[in-house]
Amino acid sequence: MDEFDFARGVTVGQYVPGSSILHRLDPRAKLGGFVIVLAAVITTSSYLGNAVALASVIGIVILSGIPLGYVLSGVRPIIPILVIFTIFNFLFLGNYDPTGSPVIWRQQLAVGPYEFAFTVTENSMKQTVQGVVRIISLILLTSVLTLTTTITSLAKGIELLLAPFRRIKVPGHEIAMVFAIAYRFVPTVADELERLMKAQASRGADFGRPGRFQFAKRARQLVPITVPLFVGAFRRAERLIMAMESRCYVGGAGRTPISLPRLALRDWASLAAALAFTLAIWNVPWPA
Amino acid sequence: MSETIVEVRDLWHSHLRGTPLETVALRGAELQIASDDLIALMGHTGSGKSTLVQHLNGLLRPHQGSVKVFGQDLGDRKLDARPLRQMVGIVFQQPEQQLFDPTVGDDIAFGPRQLRCTPEEVRRRVRTAMERVGLGFEAFKDRYTFGLSGGEMRRVALAGVLALEPRLLVLDEPTAGLDPRGRAQLLSSLRALHADAGIAVVIVSHDMDVVAELARRVWVLAEGRTVMHGSVREIFARVDELRELRLGIPQVSELAHELRKAGRQVPADVLTVDELAEALWTNSTSRAG
Repeated sequence: MDEFDFARGVTVGQYVPGSSILHRLDPRAKLGGFVIVLAAVITTSSYLGNAVALASVIGIVILSGIPLGYVLSGVRPIIPILVIFTIFNFLFLGNYDPTGSPVIWRQQLAVGPYEFAFTVTENSMKQTVQGVVRIISLILLTSVLTLTTTITSLAKGIELLLAPFRRIKVPGHEIAMVFAIAYRFVPTVADELERLMKAQASRGADFGRPGRFQFAKRARQLVPITVPLFVGAFRRAERLIMAMESRCYVGGAGRTPISLPRLALRDWASLAAALAFTLAIWNVPWPA
Repeated sequence: MSETIVEVRDLWHSHLRGTPLETVALRGAELQIASDDLIALMGHTGSGKSTLVQHLNGLLRPHQGSVKVFGQDLGDRKLDARPLRQMVGIVFQQPEQQLFDPTVGDDIAFGPRQLRCTPEEVRRRVRTAMERVGLGFEAFKDRYTFGLSGGEMRRVALAGVLALEPRLLVLDEPTAGLDPRGRAQLLSSLRALHADAGIAVVIVSHDMDVVAELARRVWVLAEGRTVMHGSVREIFARVDELRELRLGIPQVSELAHELRKAGRQVPADVLTVDELAEALWTNSTSRAG
């Protein structure tokens, strides 16, 4: 593993060309299916249900033909957050548990004038574990969506899905454009971050000596990175505005698409599969 | 007395290794740098120049092959590259974008402060570095960094690297985007750094006129491999090979080449306008006489 190789860890916002069924789906169907599966992933509230949801998401990744290891590596950057989230939830969530589920472990601790209570109940334990599984499922699902869809086609999908709401003044085209621009620059900013860290390291900056969890020290070290990164982002934004204005961009008003793709059978089939999956997750009486 | 300070042998490197987006950037590159060298590294876009130079201070580590810099083997994963980064200063493309401190002096002082130098030492290093790039210490040290011109900002960034007092300075496309005056100033600063401060200098460039003007020796990369190296005159005399690699040649060499094709007697290795004029002059006078 190279010291400054960040682009490798960022899987969200990348696109990997391929010819799997997921690559070929209409973006509208893909977005619709994504939202439907997402609903199942974040609402199921049992150990088994979550495990099934995670397994299904991994199944979708395998279906996309993108190496599972690569998609899983997208989870790595958020491991510190996950660890902290887990520790806090595990220790403190049970203190505020209104459901009255059985207490597994309780500990009082007095440090000087302060008193701490740690409680773990069956319910808080479940929520902690589920939280982690859900976040991992979410990242995998989002990654596979962007890994198999180009930004333009995703933006087109959003625009088409929002088109019926134009009557109630939802600016579908503008929302899609904002989304596309934001997404377009994720890899650019990641590249720039890597370049800046290398440049500052080449003039004496020292990254990586404090451990992964020494946040204050890390934050101070990041000033030489964040300042140029923001300066660069603003400069790029201004250039983009100039480029759009000089081509008379006025938003979606009066613009017509060159082609109106129709949903194919596989698009309807995948939507139906997503819907069936979510209904199943909701209606199976998962034990505990 | 010159000694070899950098020795790169059969170097391989891939970007995004282990992902579906993996691309091989270097396939067996070679490079040697002596302590009194003034080198240009040339190659078409995507030839692996930037990847190669990032190995010289351990920003990247070899995936295959060996990189030895100041006697240290960068293939050794346990080797801490940070001390090496003081000895090898790399100035990236568009280095003015890496400035972050509101005042010029503080920005240049970043490196020495990271090295925990005493305040007097920091001051001395900043002063020397600024003078070497042609920025007056008193005139510029308290100026607002982001209010400088592009050429001045680039010199501030260069000073920020020089303040580490490296023995080898590597510059990636140092003149890209500068106006002719900024370019001339930068090149004369680099020449002085090499001649007076005794720093070995490597420039990565595909501006052939800059290469001809500054470098003594040239290494040429193509598709991740070293395909030519030699003195700047030798390299620019090999016009057809350079064209095949989609590299240009300096305008003067180009003109000399055309004149030779048109039947005039011009040596193959002219590099400057003066040399060409001289050659044409002696030629025509000898014919007249």
